[in-house]
Amino acid sequence: MEAPDLSALQRGNADAWDAAFRWLWPVVFAVAQTRLGPFLPADVEDVAIESLEELVEAAQTVKRAEELKPLVASIAHNRAVSRLREHFAQKRGGGQTESLEARQEQEGAPELAGGDSPLAHVGRGELAALLTELQAELKPEQRALLADFFLHGLSYEQIAAKHGLAMGSVGVYLKRGLEALRRVGERHPERLKELEAFLR
Amino acid sequence: MNPMNDERFFDLAMKAVAQQATAAEQAELDGLLASRPELRTELEQLRSAARLAKEALPLVSATEATAGELPGYARGRLQTKVRETYGAAQTAQKEETKEAFGSWRWLLGLATATAVLALIVLPSLLPKPRVSVQVAMLDLAGTTRGADTNEVALLRQAWQDAPFESFTQSTKLEDWEKTWPKDAKSTTAKIIYDRSAGEVRVIGRHKGKPFQKTFPVEKSLSDALKLASDLVREVAEAK
Repeated sequence: MEAPDLSALQRGNADAWDAAFRWLWPVVFAVAQTRLGPFLPADVEDVAIESLEELVEAAQTVKRAEELKPLVASIAHNRAVSRLREHFAQKRGGGQTESLEARQEQEGAPELAGGDSPLAHVGRGELAALLTELQAELKPEQRALLADFFLHGLSYEQIAAKHGLAMGSVGVYLKRGLEALRRVGERHPERLKELEAFLR
Repeated sequence: MNPMNDERFFDLAMKAVAQQATAAEQAELDGLLASRPELRTELEQLRSAARLAKEALPLVSATEATAGELPGYARGRLQTKVRETYGAAQTAQKEETKEAFGSWRWLLGLATATAVLALIVLPSLLPKPRVSVQVAMLDLAGTTRGADTNEVALLRQAWQDAPFESFTQSTKLEDWEKTWPKDAKSTTAKIIYDRSAGEVRVIGRHKGKPFQKTFPVEKSLSDALKLASDLVREVAEAK
């Protein structure tokens, strides 16, 4: 499926929007699923649709159709994070806060609860730009290696076997991937500072 | 630290960050950190980058997802949103046009001679295309001379209500070219007179589509400005 005609979208053409919704649906659904899946699976579709609704207005600020996917991904991310925050706040009683550790313990979540995402502190425009740059800067192989190590918990040995690499070069590849990631972060110095402050 | 130790530190740090380090590897890392405290900063940076990787990589992958179909029930809801967002503006535009015609509609019902008259008069009564123009001059010499003053006067005269800027640095001009009014009308244009290059450039957008054209200053600046003005008018009147 091809990118929709942006000028037709910005004129409010119903057919163009139909095509755009179909084109963007896999993205909003995947983002909502990533964030909400473990905690609020019933809310995934709802957040995905709300994100497309928000995009209808936000599309007026876009200059190229290719910007729509990262933009709608960041909208979906921020909406999913808000939904999680509301959910956890309700569970704990209005106005109460809780530590990340307490929440993880309660929810049995091995990873971060989405409401504490450091990316939630980044505005939708900047997050969209960050995603676009990460796509451009990180090669698919680098992304796969980083994901295997950090997200899937594979060891150096397992990664070497899976990707057909020498054991000694796994670290080198990972290092290059992290450096690329850092380069992107450095193009957003203010955001990087905020993220690092959050991550400490 | 020699390159070998550097690599070893990175591998140990990575395993520690991913909680994959064995007790022996953790002890080795602790030993390195004790002997080289400055490595702690590097370890912290690795932790930050790793955390960003954990957060951002799933989003990057999701941005590239292509599988999945929009549920049928969502379509109606989304199209309502499109109508709410864009429909109002379209309706307002239609009503504006209708109003302009409405007050003169009786003319159209008169005899043929009157109708001919109406056809002549009517175009001037139609709503004029909404155009927003900004004008700038780039003069790298950066001095005020007699010729400059005349040229500024010509530029101001050509677009009397348009804001005018004068630049002596092309970088500043580039910044200005990238800044568009937030309440953009249906047609927005920037007219740039580049004195050194001897040309008048027109860049703009009409109904979301960009347009641009350059007019060399051959006979006179006035001629080039006239051509630029005609272009903007033609674009604004285009459907």
